[in-house]
Order: sequence, then structure tokens, then C-alpha cells
Amino acid sequence: MNQWLDERLHISRLNDKFLRKAFPVHHSFFLGEITLFSLIILILTGILLALSYEPSNSLVVNSFDPGTADAPNLIPAAYHSALKINAQPFGDMLRRIHHWTANIMVAASVIHMMRVYFTGAFKKPREINWWIGMLLLIFAALTAVTGYVLPYDNYAYQTLKVIYSIAASIPWVGEWVAQAAFAGKFPGDGVIPRVYGYHIMLLPGILLGLTAAHMLIMIKQKHTQPQYAKRIAYKKIVGVPLMTQQTPIMLMLTLLFAGIVVLFSAFIPVHPVEYFGPPSTTPIENIKPDWYLLWVFGALAIIPGDLGFSLLGGDINSEFLGAIVLPTLILGLMFAVPMLDRSRENLYYAENPTNHPVRLGLGVGFMMLLIVWSVAGYKPELISAGILSNTNANTVLWIATFLLPALSFFAVQGIVRGIRSLREADARDRATFQAADD
Amino acid sequence: MTRFKRNDPEITRRKFINVAMGTTAAVGGVSLLSTLGAANPVFRLTPDKMPPLKGDLLVHAEGSKEGRPVRLEDLSIQLVRAWPMGKNENGEDVIRKGDPNNILALYRFPQGQLVAPTNLEATINGQVVAYSDVCTHAGCSVSDSDVNAGEMRCPCHSGQYDPKRGAVVTGGPPPRPLAQLPITQQGENLVVSGFFLTYPYPFTSKEEWESHIQEVEEQLA
Repeated sequence: MNQWLDERLHISRLNDKFLRKAFPVHHSFFLGEITLFSLIILILTGILLALSYEPSNSLVVNSFDPGTADAPNLIPAAYHSALKINAQPFGDMLRRIHHWTANIMVAASVIHMMRVYFTGAFKKPREINWWIGMLLLIFAALTAVTGYVLPYDNYAYQTLKVIYSIAASIPWVGEWVAQAAFAGKFPGDGVIPRVYGYHIMLLPGILLGLTAAHMLIMIKQKHTQPQYAKRIAYKKIVGVPLMTQQTPIMLMLTLLFAGIVVLFSAFIPVHPVEYFGPPSTTPIENIKPDWYLLWVFGALAIIPGDLGFSLLGGDINSEFLGAIVLPTLILGLMFAVPMLDRSRENLYYAENPTNHPVRLGLGVGFMMLLIVWSVAGYKPELISAGILSNTNANTVLWIATFLLPALSFFAVQGIVRGIRSLREADARDRATFQAADD
Repeated sequence: MTRFKRNDPEITRRKFINVAMGTTAAVGGVSLLSTLGAANPVFRLTPDKMPPLKGDLLVHAEGSKEGRPVRLEDLSIQLVRAWPMGKNENGEDVIRKGDPNNILALYRFPQGQLVAPTNLEATINGQVVAYSDVCTHAGCSVSDSDVNAGEMRCPCHSGQYDPKRGAVVTGGPPPRPLAQLPITQQGENLVVSGFFLTYPYPFTSKEEWESHIQEVEEQLA
């Protein structure tokens, strides 16, 4: 049978090419795998949710609270179907698993990128995969945001309104872009079917395609090798093959990960649609985007509103600068990371971050910047709590924007110097003792 | 490269393929553009999507009184949200909430607290004032401030307004004050007496807003 299949499908070639792929043995290499498993869980739970979801914002009578014949209680069909999903056995759980996994997928991919950055794994020949990874991160965030809108409760409605106005803030073409993207003036009659199409067809398709490219390039180029591989067998690939050694590890990781997600979902509720209620004009106090977009939110909160100006008939306002120009700059900086490295040699071994203190310091400073902006997202709370006042909030947060990243850069340089001197002392001791042994 | 240009009466394979690819790209590009054009549906200005018009009644937008006319005694220095209610072609009442940007904020301050740049002519007795309740920054509904009574704060990016002084921006990112809506009292009811005095959200310039007014007037004529 093996031979029969092999003669037709060349299984042995598949085995040699892919199934024998060597995986480096180090826990930090599991981060990418966790991202991949999250995507798989998201697609599975997403299919189940889509089966019971009604993508429409036309008004229907709320079957849980129909009102009276004269004044029926009308709510959008999408919101109604979200209520119905919650009422199904395991329905709310399914929504929570989907939501938690989405958060974990973004978190795992961010930490995965940090691993790649700090160990220099973005260097030649892996620049292309860094860029594909960046696209994956951007499209994962877009998929998450569009998923946010689908329950069409008041929270989703308010979020959608801000997203619409960000799209509309693009100079010259903004209004057209926003209307084309969200099916007419906000809130268009077809906005939910439109966003549904993005969330279940377009964006997952893009994510799957990019993931496939990411994986294939990774298999072709091989993982960077951890440092121990250099000592064991220089310039040889060290690791465990996918079949049969890595597979049980992966299965175990999947089960453990799925277990943790289910545990989270069982005890920590997310996005209670009943609490927020159907779309209304009552704003939600302390509405915030998910944590990975909080930095954009915070930047918008501290950018002064009179920053805008007119250019050739286009209106360049603070919203456009804060929500489109600034993230483009930040993402552009991240895209440019492999181009800042001028080495011509191919990189085989993951680098020790402390051997590259400037890169390490810049990375830590960059993350500190995003943290400062995320804290700025809590500006109203900081003011209400009396930590900052109305007048000094922006000043303090802008000073922190520049000061804290700079401070963390220099702190990293100091710590690295300390680590190095310890290491050198170790090496000296070893040399002395070796000399004494002889 | 040859020095002699070959004079072939028939079209070469390369040329044929190039022309075919060019044609395909052109046709594909045009069809993509037309598809993108179709992605943006036509906007119809129906009575429920018109801005507050002269003669519109103000009705409660939320709470137990939702849909009922706003009375003077309902108002205080606490924000009350209202919709304008007008008539459609058949003379039936229609609440103009088809455009969520029509939501209004009503306040009633003790005599003398409302000061310029509020347009006092457009208020009731210099006490009751109506603003567009849509933040000029990102279009969220603005709420009462949780720190200073009688002030407003937008929950989205913490824009702040002072409704006693023409809703000027007192903090945060909004680029301009909330638009004031002229109102009068007719019997028990609050009635709109004209268009917004300045351009409300989502309009970004005076011209845009004026052309929108023109569109509305043409539709009504």
C-alpha cells in the first residue's frame, strides 16, 4: 500500500522535504506554533458561530422581550442572533473561546515577533518572512476589529462609528472610502453584511494565504539555530524532526493551550452583549479598543485637536494624523527593521540579545513608547482618579512619550554592561582555574 | 540583436501576447473600478435622515420617556438627549434617527449662566440651549463630565466641552465646538427654529454644510 501510494503521490518525497523538517529545541520557538494553533481554533469556532449568526442589521422583533403589538421591541437581526447564540447550549462559551483565542493569537504573534527581533532572526535571508509576518500581524488586527463589530451591540456600534470616522478622515477621498468600505453613510443599511463578508471570507482568506507563505518560506529557509547547535555541530541543522518527534510535542502543546483557553473562557466572560444592549445614542463610558490597538487610541487622546491644516483642498485633521499617519509611521518603522541591518552574510544562529545592546535598547524603548501611549488611553480615568488634571494631562503624557523610551534605552545599555562584565569575570575565573588545574 | 529590422507581414507572437496582456489588464482594471464603484451605494436623503429642520418637535431619545416630547421641566444642568421629530411626505410623524448624527444635547442653566459665545438669541430665555451631541472629533455621543457638573466629556478620546459657553472645547482632541441648534418654545413643547448655526459633525467645512442645507431645501421644495 505504501509503495502503491508512493508510486502515485511520491509520499517519500513529501516525507524527505517536509515531514522530516528539523525543529530547534527551545521553548521560545513554540510562540509561532501557538499563533498557528490559535488561527486553527479561531477558524473552527468561527465556522460554528457563523452557522448560527444572522448577518443583517435590519430590525426584527426581539423574541426574548417582544414588547407589545403597538410598540414591538425592535433590535438589529445581528444583535438578536448574538443573543440567540448566547442562549444556545455552549453558545456563550463558543463566543468566549473565539474571543479569547483572538486575543491570544495577537499576543502570541507579538511575542513571537519580539523573539525574532531580539535574536536577530529577521536578518538575511529571512527579511521576506519578517515582512510577511508584519502583514499577518496587520491583517490579524483587522480581522479582530471586524469581528468586534459583528454582534452589533451598543459597544460594537460605537466602535464602528469611530472606525468609520477614522476612514472618513483621510483627506480628499475619505468620505468615499468610508462609504465604500462600510456600505454607505454611517450606519448604512448593509453595514453588517459588508463587515461579515470581510470577517468570514476576505480577511481569513488573506490570513490563510499569508500563513501558508510564511510556513513554506520557513521550511525552505529553516529555523535559525539556537546557540547550543553551534557547539554541538557547527553549520549542521540540529533539532527534532516533525515526524515523529515534534508532532507529539505539538499535539501536547495544542491540547494544553486549548485547555487553558477553555479554562479562561469558562471563568472570564468577554463582551457581554446583553449588558451593552442594542445600538443606541447613549455612549458607553470608558469605551476602549482591545489592548493591541490601545496605543493608537491613546495617541488620539493626547494629540491636540487644532493640529489640523488644509492642503490643496484636502483637510488634514488630527484624527487622520493620529489614527492613520502615526500608525503608518510606526508600522513602517517595523517593516524597515531588516533593512537597517547591513550584514551580507546569511544568519544561521540566533544571536544573544546582550551581544547587540543597541538593537536590544531600541526594541525595549519602542515597546516602552507603545506602553506609554497605551497608558495615555486611560487619560480620562487618570483624570477622574485625580492622578493627572485636565490642564497637565497632555503635557505629562507627552513628556513621558519622549522621556520614558529614552530612559529605558539607557537603562538597557547599563544592564547589558553589567551582564557583560559578569560574563567576563566568569571567563577570567574559568581561565585561572583551568590554568591551576593544569 | 540584428542590424536589420525584420519586416514580417504577420504579427509576432511576442507582440500578440503583449497586446493581449495589455487588453486584459485594461479590461480588468476598468471592471475592478466599476466593482469598487458599486461597493458604494447611492445615498437617498429620506425624511428620517434629514438634519433638524425648522418646526421639528424635540422628543426624548432615551429612558422611559423615549419618543415623547421634551418639556422644559425635564431639563436641568444634566444632559438630556433628544431627537428632532418632523413629518414625512404623508404628514406622519417621523423621528429623524435614520442619521445618528442628528442626536441633540439639551441643557437648562439658571438665568445668567449661559454666556457668549453661545448664541443667546437661539436659546429659550437664555436658559435652555440645544447642541449637536456628536463629538466633532470622532463622532461619538458626548456625555456629562464626571468631574465638573454642567460640563461635557466625550467617552471616546476624552474631548471636553463647556455647554455654558457655546460648547467650546476645553480639553482633548476635538477640533471645534459642538454646533448649536436654534430652538424656541411653542406652548409646552420645544421646537427647532432653524438649521445648526455652525457646521455639525460629520461635515468638515462650512461649504459642505451649506451645500447639504441646499440639498435638503431642494428636497423639501
